[in-house]
Amino acid sequence: MFAEARDLGGAIDLPADIQRELRDLESRGDRISHYELLAVAADADGGDIRRAYLERSKRLHPDAWYRKEVGEFGPILSKWFQKLAVAYQALSDEESRAVYDRDHKSDLNPQDRVAVEKRELRVRDDERRQAERRARLLHTKGFARIGAARKLFEEALDHASKGERSQAIESLKAARELDPNRKEIAARLVDLERDQARARANSALASGKDREQNKLYPQAIAAYTAAFQLDPKSSAAAAGAARCSMENGDLQAASTWGQRAVELSPDDEDARLTLAEIFTAMNMKARAKAELNAILKKNPEHPEAKSLLKGL
Amino acid sequence: MGELVIGIDLGTTNSVVATVQGGVPTVIPNRSGYRITPSVVAMARNGKRLVGALARRQAVTNAERTVVAVKRLMGRRWTSKALQDTLARMPYTVVQGPHEDVRIVLGETQYSPPEISAMVLTELRLDAEAFFGEPVSKAVITCPAYFNDAQRNATKDAGRIAGLDVIRIINEPTSAALAYGFGRPQVEKQVAVFDLGGGTFDFTVLHMFKGVFEVEATGGDSLLGGEDFDSCIIDWLAEPFFTKHGIDLRKDKMSLQRLRDAAEKAKCELSNQKSVEINLPFISATQKTGPLHLQSSLTREQLESLTAELIARCLRVCEQVLGEAKVHAGALGEVLLVGGQTRMPKIQEAVKSLFGRDPSKAVNPDEAVALGAAIQGAMLLHEEQEMLLLDVTPHSLGIAIAGGFFQKIIPKNTTVPTSAHHVFTTVKDDQPSAKITVLQGESDLADDNELLGEFMLTGLRAAPRGTVDIDVIFDISADGIVSVSALDVQTGARQSITVTASSGLTEEEIQKAASANEDWMLGQKEDPEFQARKTKAEELFREFEVLWPKLTRAAQNGLGDDPLQRAQAALSVARLQVAQKESQGLAASIDRLERMLGALKGALDRGLGQEGR
Repeated sequence: MFAEARDLGGAIDLPADIQRELRDLESRGDRISHYELLAVAADADGGDIRRAYLERSKRLHPDAWYRKEVGEFGPILSKWFQKLAVAYQALSDEESRAVYDRDHKSDLNPQDRVAVEKRELRVRDDERRQAERRARLLHTKGFARIGAARKLFEEALDHASKGERSQAIESLKAARELDPNRKEIAARLVDLERDQARARANSALASGKDREQNKLYPQAIAAYTAAFQLDPKSSAAAAGAARCSMENGDLQAASTWGQRAVELSPDDEDARLTLAEIFTAMNMKARAKAELNAILKKNPEHPEAKSLLKGL
Repeated sequence: MGELVIGIDLGTTNSVVATVQGGVPTVIPNRSGYRITPSVVAMARNGKRLVGALARRQAVTNAERTVVAVKRLMGRRWTSKALQDTLARMPYTVVQGPHEDVRIVLGETQYSPPEISAMVLTELRLDAEAFFGEPVSKAVITCPAYFNDAQRNATKDAGRIAGLDVIRIINEPTSAALAYGFGRPQVEKQVAVFDLGGGTFDFTVLHMFKGVFEVEATGGDSLLGGEDFDSCIIDWLAEPFFTKHGIDLRKDKMSLQRLRDAAEKAKCELSNQKSVEINLPFISATQKTGPLHLQSSLTREQLESLTAELIARCLRVCEQVLGEAKVHAGALGEVLLVGGQTRMPKIQEAVKSLFGRDPSKAVNPDEAVALGAAIQGAMLLHEEQEMLLLDVTPHSLGIAIAGGFFQKIIPKNTTVPTSAHHVFTTVKDDQPSAKITVLQGESDLADDNELLGEFMLTGLRAAPRGTVDIDVIFDISADGIVSVSALDVQTGARQSITVTASSGLTEEEIQKAASANEDWMLGQKEDPEFQARKTKAEELFREFEVLWPKLTRAAQNGLGDDPLQRAQAALSVARLQVAQKESQGLAASIDRLERMLGALKGALDRGLGQEGR
């Protein structure tokens, strides 16, 4: 597509190296990993990833070339900046990064795969050492407990600022045990645990959708179930589990999930439609009709609901 | 050195213009030598347009023809509740405009808010041109982070009317952070900006590293600012007066303007002293008591308790934004205070207790925003500025779906440029078109959000309902412009459209206003000698006009038609000379008209004397 710069007209004055880079990115398309796009090692920590994102933005953000005539490279810059932002989003949270690493390990280049494994080992190792240290600190006696709690609290803030949420939570838990009266410890812990549950639920949900798209139904059901356990209010997780259970031929489970999804979000037409389809498949016509009528009551023109109802 | 570019902080109460000169961000003083220009526009009794300090100075005596705080009206719909609340406190007259927008009545003419803002911008542009000694057209203008698309477009239109090529609209707190980060490229820091200006409050969290400024989260309240603090004082003064004398001073435009001035002055003084005396002699009068005076003393503590709710509102916004940025208040590397209202000691105290640190004194709260805008202009246009701003959308973007609900497609605080898509399906057989309503806001209900635009997808394939899938792609570019394109999934047919929230003016109206403004500017640039003659001639025209009814009566009472006809001929010659800028000829005409006026006045005096006898 971009064999030579002159193919795009002579007016373009974007530097040759960035033209080359964009052409290279275009030719690799979706095969480029988040790590390669950000130009960081796959075992980089949160701070490195953020700095890499900002550095790379200086090259890929359209404003960096505002004064240049970029011609047809304009939309390409914009597209790759957006991909860069998506990569940064995915890797800047430890939960979504873990999911990305797990789901895309086989796509990574050998060097990055090794780095991811190395990092996983290091994280586990680090966690173990930190846990031991916390256990030791928890044995502190007397007034020194307050000081130990402060130390752990500061450590927690440091972990949190690097995006190491689970480490931060563990430190805070230990700090709270040492100094139960300090309110900011408890408050920060509540915040982080809520963030963690949300992030875990979101990444489980994303993983479920990804697998559902790839028709890996049993794995998708597992991910959706995990998402639902993490966030019992998630109708999207319940609806996903219902769809995949139906595809997987487990109608009993599908109807349980489907009813849960509808209860959680009675206005969700898609969830009701899925449930109606499940009931139809189970030959429970009256219940299927009830769901379809509920949809049509709110939206009399709903095409699929109308045609399904006709079929009954 | 690249092309000239200016940065403008177009504030609710004051505006500032700046540039980057020789690599140094600098405020451009106005032609009177001040670094700040009040955002006030007035139409003087002689029909002259006054802007800035001149307009502000005559506000009390000409309250109805003086426009203050027009920023609060920018991009607002006539029917919005926010607008109706604002109007109650405006001393000038605001009416409904032709496109569900607002118009400001100044004398015989109605102006849209962008036209009034354009007058302020024109003044700043002239200041910049005087400073550089050459024309300037490129500008970056700031607006509150929490402005919606309609308000941003109104700001952009104001710039266009003022003859400026607005290369970017940027958010005020971000701009202040640029001013802070300029010259500190190697420092990696997370910074919060607390921006409480005259009319709006914004709070933004940014991360800066090697010249890149990444906005992490932003939020605010577009109807919370210094003016609301003034209003608290106004109410505190006016209510006891009403109870005592049965007169609501806020209903009279002149006394409201005096109250407003006194309240603002008291508020500012209370930042430095513990109590102030407020003295407003002859503020009103009744038949029974004669003139009434208002005398009060206000302490800092009283002011703090009057405005406690306003400060609490600011802090609630801060907490929400910190949550969205997932950052702990104590973990920030710096807190910047921007906007004049942050001089209030209670606010500094509240900020200090929330963030557990003293706010930074590194930036000037009045000038940082304009300096940052100038820096952004230089970043975009000048090769040597290796800096970059990664900004976010302050509001979620989405569409209206069945049942009156709002479906978010791009969530708030997403870095721009960005895009997202959504698949629609037809609901009828052979449906030829589909309407898509694009909205901006955070509410789940479509009606509670701001309408960005509606468009029709036309020429859909004839097919049974539910079988035509349309993939609608939403794009927000780096300069915040939303465009939508639609793709028929099965056939690959594509349609695209740019969605711009209306600022209240049509393209034609903007063009017309811009050319009127251009004419006015040319008038300003004429040589001072002709300008003086023109003013003199216009005075004479008015005097003749005032005198004319008496003269026609006198003509019937013995003066005769002759002198009147001669005067009329001389007047039309002079009018033509003004229009054609014939400076020399006009000088002669003025002489002649003055002589005639003297003679006619003399004749009238004699004539009137006879009548009286």
